[in-house]
Amino acid sequence: MFWKLRLPLMLTFIVGLVPIVTFFLTERVWGVAFVRDRVEQYMVIITGFALLLGVVNVVQGNIRKIERRKPGWPFAVSLLLGLFVMGAFGILSAARVGPFQSILTAPDGSDTPFYWMTRHLFNPLQAAMFSLLAFYVASAAFRAFRVRNVEATILLTAAFIVMLGRTPLGEYVFSWLPNGETFLPWVTEWIMAVPNAAAQRGIIIGAALGAAALSLRVILGIERSYLGIREK
Amino acid sequence: MNLERLVQVDRRIVYLLIALGTLIPILKPIGFAVSTTPPVENFFAKVESLGGDDAVLVSFDYGPTTAPECDPMAEAVLRHCFTRGIKVVVVALFPLGGVTMAGEALEKIVPQYPDLVEGEDYVFLGYKDGAQATMKQMGVAFSGVFPSDQEGTPLDELPLMTQVLNYANIALVVSIATNVIGEWWANLVNAQFGTPVAVGCTAVSAPKYYAFLDSGQMLGLLGGLKGASEYEQLLIDRYPALEPIYSKAGEYNAMKGMDAQTVDHAIIMLFILYGNGVYFLIRRREKREARLEQ
Repeated sequence: MFWKLRLPLMLTFIVGLVPIVTFFLTERVWGVAFVRDRVEQYMVIITGFALLLGVVNVVQGNIRKIERRKPGWPFAVSLLLGLFVMGAFGILSAARVGPFQSILTAPDGSDTPFYWMTRHLFNPLQAAMFSLLAFYVASAAFRAFRVRNVEATILLTAAFIVMLGRTPLGEYVFSWLPNGETFLPWVTEWIMAVPNAAAQRGIIIGAALGAAALSLRVILGIERSYLGIREK
Repeated sequence: MNLERLVQVDRRIVYLLIALGTLIPILKPIGFAVSTTPPVENFFAKVESLGGDDAVLVSFDYGPTTAPECDPMAEAVLRHCFTRGIKVVVVALFPLGGVTMAGEALEKIVPQYPDLVEGEDYVFLGYKDGAQATMKQMGVAFSGVFPSDQEGTPLDELPLMTQVLNYANIALVVSIATNVIGEWWANLVNAQFGTPVAVGCTAVSAPKYYAFLDSGQMLGLLGGLKGASEYEQLLIDRYPALEPIYSKAGEYNAMKGMDAQTVDHAIIMLFILYGNGVYFLIRRREKREARLEQ
Protein backbone atom coordinates (compact mmCIF):
# COMPACT_ATOMS: atom_id res chain seq x y z
CA MET A 1 0.00 0.00 0.00
CA PHE A 2 2.77 2.43 0.97
CA TRP A 3 5.03 1.75 -2.04
CA LYS A 4 2.31 1.47 -4.64
CA LEU A 5 -0.03 4.19 -3.46
CA ARG A 6 1.04 6.48 -0.64
CA LEU A 7 4.62 7.12 -1.77
CA PRO A 8 3.67 7.98 -5.40
CA LEU A 9 0.88 10.24 -4.13
CA MET A 10 3.25 11.99 -1.72
CA LEU A 11 5.89 12.43 -4.43
CA THR A 12 3.29 13.78 -6.85
CA PHE A 13 2.04 16.23 -4.23
CA ILE A 14 5.51 17.55 -3.38
CA VAL A 15 6.85 17.72 -6.95
CA GLY A 16 3.59 19.23 -8.22
CA LEU A 17 3.63 21.86 -5.53
CA VAL A 18 7.23 23.02 -6.12
CA PRO A 19 6.66 24.89 -9.44
CA ILE A 20 3.52 26.54 -8.06
CA VAL A 21 5.08 27.69 -4.79
CA THR A 22 8.39 28.78 -6.33
CA PHE A 23 6.53 30.78 -8.97
CA PHE A 24 5.11 33.01 -6.25
CA LEU A 25 8.30 33.31 -4.18
CA THR A 26 11.36 35.38 -5.06
CA GLU A 27 14.81 33.84 -5.24
CA ARG A 28 15.72 35.69 -2.05
CA VAL A 29 13.75 33.16 -0.05
CA TRP A 30 16.23 30.55 1.15
CA GLY A 31 16.28 27.33 -0.84
CA VAL A 32 13.75 28.39 -3.51
CA ALA A 33 16.19 28.62 -6.39
CA PHE A 34 17.93 25.39 -5.39
CA VAL A 35 14.75 23.31 -5.17
CA ARG A 36 13.20 24.83 -8.33
CA ASP A 37 16.35 24.28 -10.42
CA ARG A 38 16.73 20.69 -9.26
CA VAL A 39 13.11 19.84 -10.01
CA GLU A 40 13.36 21.42 -13.47
CA GLN A 41 16.55 19.51 -14.23
CA TYR A 42 14.94 16.26 -13.09
CA MET A 43 12.00 17.04 -15.39
CA VAL A 44 14.36 17.09 -18.40
CA ILE A 45 15.85 13.75 -17.31
CA ILE A 46 12.46 12.16 -16.62
CA THR A 47 11.19 13.28 -20.04
CA GLY A 48 14.13 11.38 -21.53
CA PHE A 49 13.01 8.27 -19.70
CA ALA A 50 9.46 8.79 -20.98
CA LEU A 51 10.91 8.67 -24.50
CA LEU A 52 12.64 5.40 -23.61
CA LEU A 53 9.34 4.06 -22.32
CA GLY A 54 7.75 4.93 -25.66
CA VAL A 55 10.51 3.10 -27.55
CA VAL A 56 10.05 0.00 -25.35
CA ASN A 57 6.31 0.13 -26.00
CA VAL A 58 6.78 0.39 -29.78
CA VAL A 59 9.28 -2.48 -29.79
CA GLN A 60 7.05 -4.76 -27.71
CA GLY A 61 3.96 -4.02 -29.81
CA ASN A 62 5.71 -4.58 -33.11
CA ILE A 63 7.55 -7.74 -32.03
CA ARG A 64 4.18 -9.17 -31.00
CA LYS A 65 2.79 -8.22 -34.41
CA ILE A 66 5.64 -9.99 -36.21
CA GLU A 67 5.43 -13.10 -34.01
CA ARG A 68 1.70 -13.47 -34.68
CA ARG A 69 2.09 -12.62 -38.38
CA LYS A 70 -0.66 -10.03 -38.13
CA PRO A 71 -1.70 -8.18 -41.31
CA GLY A 72 0.98 -5.66 -42.27
CA TRP A 73 3.72 -7.38 -40.23
CA PRO A 74 6.42 -6.63 -42.85
CA PHE A 75 5.85 -2.93 -42.06
CA ALA A 76 6.58 -3.71 -38.40
CA VAL A 77 9.88 -5.29 -39.49
CA SER A 78 10.85 -2.19 -41.45
CA LEU A 79 9.83 0.02 -38.51
CA LEU A 80 11.99 -1.92 -36.06
CA LEU A 81 14.87 -2.02 -38.53
CA GLY A 82 14.71 1.76 -38.94
CA LEU A 83 14.38 2.28 -35.20
CA PHE A 84 17.36 0.11 -34.30
CA VAL A 85 19.70 1.14 -37.12
CA MET A 86 19.07 4.89 -36.80
CA GLY A 87 18.83 4.65 -33.02
CA ALA A 88 22.17 2.81 -32.79
CA PHE A 89 24.00 5.33 -34.97
CA GLY A 90 22.34 8.20 -33.12
CA ILE A 91 23.34 6.87 -29.69
CA LEU A 92 26.90 6.06 -30.84
CA SER A 93 27.25 9.56 -32.30
CA ALA A 94 25.76 11.26 -29.24
CA ALA A 95 28.02 9.26 -26.91
CA ARG A 96 31.00 9.90 -29.26
CA VAL A 97 32.07 6.27 -29.38
CA GLY A 98 34.99 5.21 -31.61
CA PRO A 99 34.78 6.71 -35.11
CA PHE A 100 31.41 8.34 -34.36
CA GLN A 101 32.59 11.64 -32.96
CA SER A 102 29.69 13.87 -33.99
CA ILE A 103 25.95 13.65 -34.60
CA LEU A 104 25.78 15.61 -37.85
CA THR A 105 29.14 16.15 -39.54
CA ALA A 106 32.27 14.02 -39.30
CA PRO A 107 35.65 15.74 -38.72
CA ASP A 108 36.44 15.44 -42.47
CA GLY A 109 33.25 17.39 -43.27
CA SER A 110 31.25 14.43 -44.54
CA ASP A 111 27.88 13.40 -43.14
CA THR A 112 27.86 10.93 -40.25
CA PRO A 113 25.85 7.71 -40.96
CA PHE A 114 23.05 9.07 -38.74
CA TYR A 115 22.92 12.39 -40.60
CA TRP A 116 23.13 10.64 -43.98
CA MET A 117 20.13 8.45 -43.12
CA THR A 118 18.25 11.46 -41.79
CA ARG A 119 18.92 13.48 -44.92
CA HIS A 120 18.33 10.77 -47.50
CA LEU A 121 15.72 8.54 -45.85
CA PHE A 122 13.96 10.11 -42.88
CA ASN A 123 13.47 13.63 -44.30
CA PRO A 124 12.16 12.62 -47.76
CA LEU A 125 9.88 9.94 -46.29
CA GLN A 126 8.40 12.32 -43.72
CA ALA A 127 7.99 15.06 -46.31
CA ALA A 128 6.30 12.65 -48.74
CA MET A 129 3.83 11.52 -46.07
CA PHE A 130 2.88 15.08 -45.19
CA SER A 131 2.68 16.27 -48.80
CA LEU A 132 -0.10 13.74 -49.47
CA LEU A 133 -2.24 15.98 -47.30
CA ALA A 134 -2.50 18.57 -50.09
CA PHE A 135 -4.28 16.06 -52.32
CA TYR A 136 -6.66 14.89 -49.62
CA VAL A 137 -7.45 18.45 -48.52
CA ALA A 138 -8.29 19.45 -52.09
CA SER A 139 -10.52 16.43 -52.64
CA ALA A 140 -12.20 16.75 -49.22
CA ALA A 141 -12.80 20.50 -49.66
CA PHE A 142 -14.50 19.87 -53.00
CA ARG A 143 -16.74 17.17 -51.54
CA ALA A 144 -17.53 18.64 -48.13
CA PHE A 145 -17.78 22.42 -48.62
CA ARG A 146 -21.46 22.85 -49.48
CA VAL A 147 -23.70 25.84 -48.82
CA ARG A 148 -26.27 23.75 -46.96
CA ASN A 149 -27.26 26.30 -44.28
CA VAL A 150 -26.39 29.73 -42.86
CA GLU A 151 -23.50 28.44 -40.72
CA ALA A 152 -21.94 26.59 -43.65
CA THR A 153 -22.30 29.71 -45.81
CA ILE A 154 -20.53 31.88 -43.21
CA LEU A 155 -17.74 29.28 -42.90
CA LEU A 156 -17.37 28.99 -46.66
CA THR A 157 -17.32 32.77 -47.15
CA ALA A 158 -14.65 33.22 -44.45
CA ALA A 159 -12.63 30.33 -45.89
CA PHE A 160 -12.84 31.82 -49.38
CA ILE A 161 -11.71 35.24 -48.22
CA VAL A 162 -8.80 33.82 -46.20
CA MET A 163 -7.74 31.47 -49.01
CA LEU A 164 -7.78 34.32 -51.50
CA GLY A 165 -6.27 36.86 -49.12
CA ARG A 166 -3.42 34.49 -48.27
CA THR A 167 -2.26 34.52 -51.87
CA PRO A 168 -1.31 37.28 -54.31
CA LEU A 169 -4.55 36.47 -56.18
CA GLY A 170 -6.43 38.35 -53.49
CA GLU A 171 -4.60 41.52 -54.41
CA TYR A 172 -5.58 41.25 -58.06
CA VAL A 173 -9.30 40.63 -57.43
CA PHE A 174 -10.02 44.17 -56.24
CA SER A 175 -7.08 45.90 -57.94
CA TRP A 176 -9.51 47.84 -60.16
CA LEU A 177 -10.62 49.78 -57.05
CA PRO A 178 -8.52 52.67 -55.65
CA ASN A 179 -6.13 51.00 -53.13
CA GLY A 180 -8.01 47.81 -53.95
CA GLU A 181 -4.85 45.65 -53.76
CA THR A 182 -4.80 45.99 -49.99
CA PHE A 183 -8.53 45.42 -49.45
CA LEU A 184 -8.71 41.62 -49.38
CA PRO A 185 -5.45 41.15 -47.44
CA TRP A 186 -6.84 43.66 -44.91
CA VAL A 187 -10.14 41.76 -44.60
CA THR A 188 -8.18 38.49 -44.22
CA GLU A 189 -6.03 39.97 -41.48
CA TRP A 190 -9.17 41.32 -39.75
CA ILE A 191 -10.83 37.88 -39.82
CA MET A 192 -7.70 36.31 -38.33
CA ALA A 193 -7.05 39.02 -35.75
CA VAL A 194 -10.61 39.63 -34.52
CA PRO A 195 -13.22 36.83 -34.86
CA ASN A 196 -10.61 34.08 -35.15
CA ALA A 197 -8.47 35.40 -32.25
CA ALA A 198 -11.57 35.74 -30.05
CA ALA A 199 -12.60 32.14 -30.72
CA GLN A 200 -9.04 30.88 -30.26
CA ARG A 201 -8.75 32.77 -26.97
CA GLY A 202 -11.91 31.07 -25.72
CA ILE A 203 -10.56 27.66 -26.69
CA ILE A 204 -7.16 28.36 -25.10
CA ILE A 205 -8.67 29.67 -21.84
CA GLY A 206 -11.03 26.70 -21.68
CA ALA A 207 -8.22 24.23 -22.28
CA ALA A 208 -6.00 25.97 -19.71
CA LEU A 209 -8.74 25.88 -17.08
CA GLY A 210 -9.28 22.19 -17.81
CA ALA A 211 -5.53 21.51 -17.53
CA ALA A 212 -5.34 23.46 -14.26
CA ALA A 213 -8.30 21.55 -12.82
CA LEU A 214 -6.84 18.21 -13.86
CA SER A 215 -3.41 19.15 -12.47
CA LEU A 216 -5.01 20.09 -9.15
CA ARG A 217 -6.85 16.75 -9.04
CA VAL A 218 -3.56 14.93 -9.71
CA ILE A 219 -1.61 16.95 -7.11
CA LEU A 220 -4.29 16.42 -4.46
CA GLY A 221 -4.48 12.71 -5.21
CA ILE A 222 -8.10 12.77 -6.43
CA GLU A 223 -7.16 11.69 -9.95
CA ARG A 224 -5.25 8.41 -9.66
CA SER A 225 -5.63 6.85 -13.09
CA TYR A 226 -1.92 7.50 -13.83
CA LEU A 227 -1.16 4.97 -11.08
CA GLY A 228 -3.28 2.38 -12.82
CA ILE A 229 -6.11 2.88 -10.33
CA ARG A 230 -9.53 3.28 -11.89
CA GLU A 231 -12.32 5.08 -10.09
CA LYS A 232 -15.36 2.90 -9.45
CA MET B 1 -28.63 16.19 -67.79
CA ASN B 2 -27.54 13.90 -64.96
CA LEU B 3 -26.50 16.42 -62.30
CA GLU B 4 -25.56 13.71 -59.79
CA ARG B 5 -22.90 12.46 -62.19
CA LEU B 6 -21.53 15.98 -62.64
CA VAL B 7 -20.86 16.36 -58.91
CA GLN B 8 -19.10 12.97 -58.72
CA VAL B 9 -15.79 14.14 -60.17
CA ASP B 10 -13.22 11.37 -60.13
CA ARG B 11 -10.82 12.23 -57.30
CA ARG B 12 -7.88 11.30 -59.52
CA ILE B 13 -8.71 14.36 -61.65
CA VAL B 14 -8.48 16.53 -58.51
CA TYR B 15 -5.18 14.89 -57.56
CA LEU B 16 -3.77 15.36 -61.07
CA LEU B 17 -4.69 19.04 -61.18
CA ILE B 18 -3.20 19.65 -57.74
CA ALA B 19 -0.02 17.83 -58.78
CA LEU B 20 0.27 19.93 -61.94
CA GLY B 21 -0.64 23.10 -60.04
CA THR B 22 2.24 22.41 -57.66
CA LEU B 23 4.83 21.14 -60.12
CA ILE B 24 4.52 23.64 -62.96
CA PRO B 25 4.90 26.85 -60.87
CA ILE B 26 7.87 25.32 -59.00
CA LEU B 27 9.60 24.36 -62.25
CA LYS B 28 8.64 27.59 -63.99
CA PRO B 29 8.07 30.31 -61.35
CA ILE B 30 5.40 32.89 -62.12
CA GLY B 31 6.71 35.58 -59.76
CA PHE B 32 3.54 36.91 -58.13
CA ALA B 33 4.00 40.14 -56.17
CA VAL B 34 3.98 39.78 -52.38
CA SER B 35 2.35 42.34 -50.09
CA THR B 36 3.20 42.49 -46.38
CA THR B 37 1.02 42.36 -43.27
CA PRO B 38 1.51 43.89 -39.76
CA PRO B 39 2.45 40.64 -37.90
CA VAL B 40 5.36 40.09 -40.31
CA GLU B 41 6.31 43.78 -40.43
CA ASN B 42 6.50 43.89 -36.61
CA PHE B 43 8.68 40.77 -36.56
CA PHE B 44 11.00 42.24 -39.17
CA ALA B 45 11.13 45.63 -37.41
CA LYS B 46 12.17 43.98 -34.14
CA VAL B 47 15.11 42.16 -35.76
CA GLU B 48 15.93 45.36 -37.62
CA SER B 49 16.15 47.24 -34.30
CA LEU B 50 18.84 44.86 -33.01
CA GLY B 51 22.57 45.09 -33.64
CA GLY B 52 25.95 43.51 -33.03
CA ASP B 53 25.64 43.69 -29.23
CA ASP B 54 22.40 41.72 -29.19
CA ALA B 55 21.77 38.00 -29.25
CA VAL B 56 18.79 36.21 -30.77
CA LEU B 57 17.78 32.69 -29.78
CA VAL B 58 16.50 30.74 -32.79
CA SER B 59 14.70 27.55 -31.83
CA PHE B 60 14.10 24.91 -34.50
CA ASP B 61 10.81 23.44 -33.36
CA TYR B 62 9.82 21.71 -36.58
CA GLY B 63 10.69 18.64 -38.60
CA PRO B 64 10.92 17.61 -42.24
CA THR B 65 7.14 17.28 -42.56
CA THR B 66 6.72 21.05 -42.56
CA ALA B 67 10.11 22.00 -43.99
CA PRO B 68 8.73 23.58 -47.21
CA GLU B 69 6.89 26.12 -45.05
CA CYS B 70 9.30 26.46 -42.15
CA ASP B 71 12.73 26.22 -43.83
CA PRO B 72 12.34 29.54 -45.70
CA MET B 73 11.35 31.27 -42.42
CA ALA B 74 14.36 29.93 -40.54
CA GLU B 75 16.71 30.77 -43.39
CA ALA B 76 15.35 34.31 -43.79
CA VAL B 77 15.62 35.01 -40.05
CA LEU B 78 19.18 33.63 -39.91
CA ARG B 79 20.16 35.70 -42.97
CA HIS B 80 18.62 38.80 -41.43
CA CYS B 81 20.48 38.28 -38.14
CA PHE B 82 23.82 37.53 -39.79
CA THR B 83 23.46 40.47 -42.20
CA ARG B 84 22.97 42.79 -39.21
CA GLY B 85 25.78 41.18 -37.24
CA ILE B 86 23.39 39.95 -34.54
CA LYS B 87 24.70 37.05 -32.47
CA VAL B 88 22.65 33.87 -32.86
CA VAL B 89 22.12 31.00 -30.43
CA VAL B 90 20.53 28.01 -32.16
CA VAL B 91 18.69 25.25 -30.30
CA ALA B 92 16.31 22.48 -31.41
CA LEU B 93 13.42 21.33 -29.23
CA PHE B 94 11.38 19.30 -31.74
CA PRO B 95 12.16 15.60 -31.39
CA LEU B 96 11.38 14.44 -34.94
CA GLY B 97 14.14 16.10 -36.92
CA GLY B 98 14.54 19.53 -35.29
CA VAL B 99 18.27 19.11 -34.85
CA THR B 100 18.85 18.11 -38.49
CA MET B 101 16.67 20.96 -39.73
CA ALA B 102 18.86 23.34 -37.74
CA GLY B 103 22.03 21.68 -38.98
CA GLU B 104 20.95 21.90 -42.61
CA ALA B 105 19.87 25.54 -42.28
CA LEU B 106 23.22 26.53 -40.74
CA GLU B 107 25.10 24.51 -43.36
CA LYS B 108 23.29 26.47 -46.06
CA ILE B 109 23.38 29.98 -44.57
CA VAL B 110 26.73 30.19 -42.75
CA PRO B 111 28.90 29.79 -45.93
CA GLN B 112 27.08 32.85 -47.36
CA TYR B 113 28.72 34.90 -44.57
CA PRO B 114 32.44 33.98 -44.70
CA ASP B 115 33.35 36.29 -41.81
CA LEU B 116 31.21 34.40 -39.30
CA VAL B 117 33.10 32.63 -36.53
CA GLU B 118 31.43 29.69 -34.85
CA GLY B 119 31.37 30.16 -31.10
CA GLU B 120 31.72 33.93 -31.40
CA ASP B 121 29.00 35.00 -33.85
CA TYR B 122 26.77 31.97 -33.53
CA VAL B 123 26.53 28.75 -31.58
CA PHE B 124 24.55 25.58 -32.22
CA LEU B 125 23.61 23.97 -28.91
CA GLY B 126 21.79 21.01 -30.43
CA TYR B 127 18.65 19.18 -29.31
CA LYS B 128 17.23 18.72 -25.84
CA ASP B 129 14.20 16.66 -24.94
CA GLY B 130 11.39 17.92 -22.71
CA ALA B 131 10.75 21.30 -24.32
CA GLN B 132 8.89 22.97 -21.43
CA ALA B 133 11.40 22.00 -18.76
CA THR B 134 14.27 22.95 -21.09
CA MET B 135 12.72 26.36 -21.77
CA LYS B 136 12.33 27.05 -18.06
CA GLN B 137 15.86 25.91 -17.27
CA MET B 138 17.35 28.09 -20.01
CA GLY B 139 15.86 31.04 -18.16
CA VAL B 140 18.10 30.16 -15.21
CA ALA B 141 21.20 29.14 -17.18
CA PHE B 142 21.79 27.74 -20.66
CA SER B 143 24.57 25.63 -19.16
CA GLY B 144 22.01 23.88 -16.94
CA VAL B 145 20.53 22.06 -19.94
CA PHE B 146 23.20 22.49 -22.61
CA PRO B 147 26.56 21.83 -20.93
CA SER B 148 28.20 21.77 -24.38
CA ASP B 149 27.37 22.72 -27.94
CA GLN B 150 26.39 20.30 -30.71
CA GLU B 151 30.03 19.37 -31.35
CA GLY B 152 30.74 18.73 -27.67
CA THR B 153 32.63 21.96 -26.92
CA PRO B 154 31.92 23.02 -23.31
CA LEU B 155 29.90 26.20 -23.07
CA ASP B 156 32.54 28.08 -21.08
CA GLU B 157 34.96 27.61 -24.01
CA LEU B 158 32.55 29.38 -26.39
CA PRO B 159 33.11 33.16 -26.21
CA LEU B 160 29.48 33.93 -27.11
CA MET B 161 28.12 31.74 -24.33
CA THR B 162 30.27 33.43 -21.72
CA GLN B 163 28.19 36.54 -22.44
CA VAL B 164 24.85 34.86 -23.04
CA LEU B 165 24.04 33.13 -19.77
CA ASN B 166 20.23 33.05 -19.78
CA TYR B 167 17.20 34.88 -21.22
CA ALA B 168 18.36 38.13 -19.59
CA ASN B 169 21.02 38.26 -22.34
CA ILE B 170 18.62 37.36 -25.17
CA ALA B 171 17.00 40.25 -27.05
CA LEU B 172 14.54 38.08 -28.97
CA VAL B 173 13.43 34.46 -29.10
CA VAL B 174 12.43 33.21 -32.53
CA SER B 175 10.66 29.88 -32.63
CA ILE B 176 10.04 28.25 -35.99
CA ALA B 177 7.40 25.81 -34.87
CA THR B 178 5.25 23.09 -36.28
CA ASN B 179 3.15 22.26 -33.25
CA VAL B 180 2.52 23.38 -29.68
CA ILE B 181 6.15 24.27 -28.88
CA GLY B 182 5.77 27.76 -30.37
CA GLU B 183 2.86 28.35 -27.98
CA TRP B 184 5.02 27.43 -25.00
CA TRP B 185 7.60 30.05 -25.94
CA ALA B 186 4.80 32.64 -25.71
CA ASN B 187 2.93 31.46 -22.64
CA LEU B 188 5.94 30.23 -20.70
CA VAL B 189 9.06 32.16 -21.68
CA ASN B 190 7.44 35.49 -22.53
CA ALA B 191 4.96 35.34 -19.67
CA GLN B 192 7.45 34.26 -16.99
CA PHE B 193 10.71 35.81 -18.14
CA GLY B 194 9.47 38.78 -20.20
CA THR B 195 11.68 37.85 -23.17
CA PRO B 196 10.24 39.09 -26.48
CA VAL B 197 9.01 36.16 -28.58
CA ALA B 198 8.24 35.91 -32.30
CA VAL B 199 6.97 32.74 -33.93
CA GLY B 200 7.04 31.35 -37.44
CA CYS B 201 4.54 28.54 -37.88
CA THR B 202 2.68 26.49 -40.46
CA ALA B 203 -0.42 28.07 -42.02
CA VAL B 204 -2.62 25.43 -40.44
CA SER B 205 -1.54 26.40 -36.91
CA ALA B 206 -1.37 30.16 -37.53
CA PRO B 207 -4.98 30.90 -36.38
CA LYS B 208 -4.30 29.92 -32.76
CA TYR B 209 -1.22 32.14 -32.60
CA TYR B 210 -3.29 35.25 -33.30
CA ALA B 211 -4.60 35.06 -29.71
CA PHE B 212 -1.02 35.33 -28.38
CA LEU B 213 -0.25 38.08 -30.87
CA ASP B 214 -3.26 40.05 -29.74
CA SER B 215 -2.39 39.64 -26.05
CA GLY B 216 1.14 40.95 -26.63
CA GLN B 217 2.79 37.66 -25.65
CA MET B 218 4.20 37.51 -29.16
CA LEU B 219 5.45 40.53 -31.06
CA GLY B 220 5.33 39.02 -34.53
CA LEU B 221 4.13 36.06 -36.51
CA LEU B 222 5.07 34.42 -39.78
CA GLY B 223 1.98 32.45 -40.72
CA GLY B 224 2.81 29.72 -43.21
CA LEU B 225 4.40 30.17 -46.59
CA LYS B 226 2.70 33.56 -47.02
CA GLY B 227 4.34 34.88 -43.84
CA ALA B 228 7.71 33.50 -44.94
CA SER B 229 7.40 35.10 -48.38
CA GLU B 230 6.51 38.45 -46.79
CA TYR B 231 9.64 38.27 -44.61
CA GLU B 232 11.75 37.45 -47.68
CA GLN B 233 10.24 40.38 -49.55
CA LEU B 234 10.98 42.76 -46.64
CA LEU B 235 14.52 41.40 -46.46
CA ILE B 236 15.13 41.98 -50.17
CA ASP B 237 13.60 45.47 -50.04
CA ARG B 238 15.85 46.43 -47.11
CA TYR B 239 18.98 44.58 -48.28
CA PRO B 240 18.99 44.48 -52.11
CA ALA B 241 22.35 42.66 -51.99
CA LEU B 242 20.44 39.55 -50.89
CA GLU B 243 18.27 39.58 -54.01
CA PRO B 244 20.54 37.28 -56.11
CA ILE B 245 20.23 34.58 -53.41
CA TYR B 246 16.46 34.64 -53.71
CA SER B 247 16.31 34.83 -57.50
CA LYS B 248 18.86 32.04 -58.05
CA ALA B 249 17.46 29.32 -60.27
CA GLY B 250 17.01 25.91 -58.68
CA GLU B 251 16.90 27.31 -55.13
CA TYR B 252 13.63 26.89 -53.29
CA ASN B 253 12.29 29.78 -51.25
CA ALA B 254 8.92 30.97 -49.96
CA MET B 255 8.31 33.46 -52.78
CA LYS B 256 8.68 30.68 -55.32
CA GLY B 257 6.56 28.37 -53.16
CA MET B 258 3.84 31.01 -53.07
CA ASP B 259 3.35 30.60 -56.83
CA ALA B 260 2.43 26.95 -56.31
CA GLN B 261 0.27 27.77 -53.30
CA THR B 262 -1.59 30.46 -55.26
CA VAL B 263 -2.33 28.13 -58.16
CA ASP B 264 -3.39 25.33 -55.80
CA HIS B 265 -5.67 27.65 -53.84
CA ALA B 266 -7.23 28.77 -57.12
CA ILE B 267 -7.81 25.14 -58.18
CA ILE B 268 -9.40 24.26 -54.83
CA MET B 269 -11.64 27.36 -54.94
CA LEU B 270 -12.73 26.60 -58.50
CA PHE B 271 -13.61 23.04 -57.47
CA ILE B 272 -15.59 24.32 -54.47
CA LEU B 273 -17.44 26.81 -56.70
CA TYR B 274 -18.14 24.09 -59.25
CA GLY B 275 -19.35 21.66 -56.57
CA ASN B 276 -21.63 24.27 -55.05
CA GLY B 277 -22.94 25.32 -58.48
CA VAL B 278 -24.00 21.76 -59.27
CA TYR B 279 -25.33 21.32 -55.72
CA PHE B 280 -27.45 24.47 -56.20
CA LEU B 281 -28.86 23.12 -59.50
CA ILE B 282 -29.70 19.78 -57.84
CA ARG B 283 -31.53 21.52 -55.01
CA ARG B 284 -33.45 23.71 -57.46
CA ARG B 285 -34.48 20.64 -59.44
CA GLU B 286 -35.55 18.82 -56.27
CA LYS B 287 -37.66 21.80 -55.18
CA ARG B 288 -39.26 22.00 -58.62
CA GLU B 289 -40.04 18.27 -58.57
CA ALA B 290 -41.52 18.59 -55.08
CA ARG B 291 -43.74 21.43 -56.28
CA LEU B 292 -44.92 19.39 -59.27
CA GLU B 293 -45.74 16.43 -57.03
CA GLN B 294 -47.92 18.69 -54.89
